[in-house]
Formats: sequence, structure tokens, C-alpha cells
Amino acid sequence: MSIATTSRADASMAGFEATTSRWGRITMLVALLLSLCGPAYLVFFGNLDVTVQQILTAYAAVAGTFLIFALVEPVTYFPILGQAAMYQAFMIGNISNKLLPAAIVAQDRIGVRPGTRKGDLAAVMAICGAAMVHLTSLLIFVGILGTWLLSLIPAEITIVARSYILPAILGAVLVQAIATVKQVRTTVVALAVGGLLVLVCVWVKPLAPYATALGVLFTIVIAWFARNRNQVLPARPAADSEPDQPVKNADTAGIA
Amino acid sequence: MATVVAAGSSTDIWAVANHPVLWIFALGVFAVIFVQSFIYIKAARKAGPDVGVQREDLTRAFRSGAVASIGPSLAVVIVAIALLALFGTPAVLVRIGLIGSAATETASAQIAATTMGTTLGGEGYNQQVFAVAFAAMSISGGAWMLATVILTPLLKRGGAKLSVVNPLMMALIPGAALLGAFSVLTISEVPKSWIHAVTVVVSALVMAGLLVVARRYHVHWLKEWALGISILAALAVAFVAHSSTLAAA
Repeated sequence: MSIATTSRADASMAGFEATTSRWGRITMLVALLLSLCGPAYLVFFGNLDVTVQQILTAYAAVAGTFLIFALVEPVTYFPILGQAAMYQAFMIGNISNKLLPAAIVAQDRIGVRPGTRKGDLAAVMAICGAAMVHLTSLLIFVGILGTWLLSLIPAEITIVARSYILPAILGAVLVQAIATVKQVRTTVVALAVGGLLVLVCVWVKPLAPYATALGVLFTIVIAWFARNRNQVLPARPAADSEPDQPVKNADTAGIA
Repeated sequence: MATVVAAGSSTDIWAVANHPVLWIFALGVFAVIFVQSFIYIKAARKAGPDVGVQREDLTRAFRSGAVASIGPSLAVVIVAIALLALFGTPAVLVRIGLIGSAATETASAQIAATTMGTTLGGEGYNQQVFAVAFAAMSISGGAWMLATVILTPLLKRGGAKLSVVNPLMMALIPGAALLGAFSVLTISEVPKSWIHAVTVVVSALVMAGLLVVARRYHVHWLKEWALGISILAALAVAFVAHSSTLAAA
């Protein structure tokens, strides 16, 4: 590539970065405001007797569990997504199970590598394609037909679904998390911590809302001290067949 | 019968959850994503040829992304429909369909409901609890977006140095946090009733079986559908178990 075309490519890419980061930030902040307007309307105009105190308490418990993900996930995904796609991914959601596979498939299809300029452009286009399919299928099947599809289901089934949807989701998600994280020691620590905390909460009821946050904290701390220290060495002995490798893929925190 | 009830104590969730105003804000989020995609496509087309990606390659990338996401999108749709009874359509569209995911958002709502002394979909799950859960979910989801807006420019400037500083820590913490959160949430379901326990176990076993099959026989689409299938299988078993207790009573 000659110097002229290189600088031209630099300028074009800089223009792309400027446009996407400016509009990416603006659209994301607008979506953030809109997503808060719904609950705010219910709280302030819904006549439901909701107090700010109730919301703060509820959010504190949720934040205790999930705030760390909000901080860690952008850092985790940045190297893979690139600046432009970050503003798409954290608005469209379902990053590890939909957007990343879509981006990787597209980069593979046109033969460009992730992390390069061409790769970034391909990822952005792939995520736009994925977004169009996702928005359309959500609008049609959930937005327009959702309640009708649900009404086709007999009442006794809906009652069961409503009562048991949470255990039905969580069992599968826990297994999926174990399979994605691929850290045997951490899994053992997490399950032991979880089991103990649930037992304790049966006795100490007021602890229940903070159990998940404590689970996150204890698991991180214990897993850190119980980690396989041999892995700090760059060249591991071949005999060390411990399967808890540090994760090398981006699925680590795929819950967004 | 005209009884005086406290505001928000009605368990008719849909009466508030499907309010037209909530629909307007939900559709607003959809519109914003459409606008963003349009701006991004225009920007990519402008820069593409100079960077060395031709227009037909960009179109190809767009199409590949669209096709690759059909399976995952339909899987999300199935889970979303299953959650309509709990959250109503607008909240499901925005929280489960877009910004968040079924796992994070139901977990957040459950944690929020616990602070009000009830459970998601349980006895005391009324309009007031829904409103508090919806607010807590939305603020929590907002933290992700705010973190993205703040951290992305910093990461761009500093390169991806953060993950280079301590790669081991960055590899361990997200995984440990994920496993810690979902271990507690999942195990908490077990002591609720024997049907809850059976539902958790069936859901986990079906997922484990599907993942093994997907990995061994390289059936990639199965991984995308696994969550939807596991939920339906677990709910089917819960239904049989629930009906059998009613018949026995």
C-alpha cells in the first residue's frame, strides 16, 4: 500500500470512528433515558404507592449482584468489538449468544481478521444485520403476536409457567455459565458458597436479599486465593492437566 | 363487590404493565436502535472503499450477521413470550428482548421482589412489586449503558491496557462473579418446594445434555436453542408435577 492510500485510509477510518463514536454515544444516552422513563412513569404517575425508599432498597440489592458486571463487561468486550460496535452491543443486548457469533461469522465470510480496521467494519455491518433481524422478530412475535400466542395456551399452563418460570430458567443458565466459564475450581467454589449461603438464609431470613451479592463477593475472593498458581508461569509443565484454563474467549461474562 | 384495596396491591400485573405510555417508551428504544444502525451503515459505506472493504463485502457482512442471528433471535422470542405474564409486553421487549437478557433481568427482578418480602410470580407479586422490580431492573441495566459510554473512550485512549495489566485477574473475576451469582440464585429455588427442586434439576439436566450433544456432534444451532428447549422441558415437568399434586389432594 502506498503512503498516499495509507493516509487516505487513516483519514477515512478516523472519520468513521468520529461519526460512530459521536452518534453511538448520543443514541445510547437517548435509549438509556427512554428505558428509565417507563418505570419512572409507573412510580410517579401510576398511583401504586411506590416509595423512593423501596426502589433504593431494591436497587441496592440488585446492584450488589450486578454492578460489577456492568463495569467488567465493557472492559471484557472492548478488545473484540472495537469502539464503534460497543455502542451497538450494549444497547441491543444478547452479546455473547448473538452479536459476537454474528460478527465472527461475517468476518470469516469476507475473510478479514477481528481487531483490524476491516474486521471492525465487518463487525459493525454484521451487528446492524443482526439488529434488524432481532428488532423485527421481537416486534412481530412478541410485540404484536405475543399476548395472542400466550392466550392460545390454556390458563392452567400459564399459572404453572408463571410459578415455575424462574427455576426453569435458572437451572439451565447455571449449567450454561459453568460450560462457558470453563473454570473447574471456580465452579466448585461457587456451588459450595451458594449452597452454604442458601442454608444460612433459611435461618437468617433478613440476609436473603443480599445473598446473591455475598455469593459474588465470596466466590471472587475464594476463587482468587484458590486459583491454580502454576498458571502464573507462562510455560506450564505438560504434566499439569488441570482443566481450569484461564478463559481465552469472550464468552466469560456473557450475560448482557 | 366493592372492597377498598390499598393502591398497587392488585395482582392484575397487565393492567399497569401494558399501559400505553410504557408502550411508547418501549417503541422509542426500538426507534433509537433503527436510527443508530442507519447512521452506522452510512458511515461504514463511506469509509469502506478507502480502508479496503468494498461495498459488496459490506453487504455480505450485513447479510451474514442477519442470517447468523435468526436462530438466537427466535430463541430470545420464545423466552420473552414465556415471561410476558410476569412483566407485560413493553418491559419484556425492552429489558429481555433488548438491553438485558432473560437471565440477568429475571434475576434482578427476583432480587428486587425479595427486598419487598415476596417472590417473582409468587403470592404477593402485585402491581407495586412489579413497579419496584421494573424500576430496579431498568436502573441496573442503565448502569451497563452508562459504563459503556464512560469506559469506551477511556479504553480507546489507553488501548486495551487494562486487560494487559493483570490478565489473570481479568480472566478470573468475570467468571467467578457469574458463577457466584447464578449458584446462589439457582440453589435458592431448591428449598421452595419439591416441584421447584425438580424444575431446577430438569432444566439443568436438559441443558447439560443439549450442550454435550452440541459439542460432540458440532451442532452449533443447538447451543442457541438450548435455553429455550430447557425452559420448555422444565416447565412441562413442572406442569405434570403440579397437576399430580392437585389430583392427589
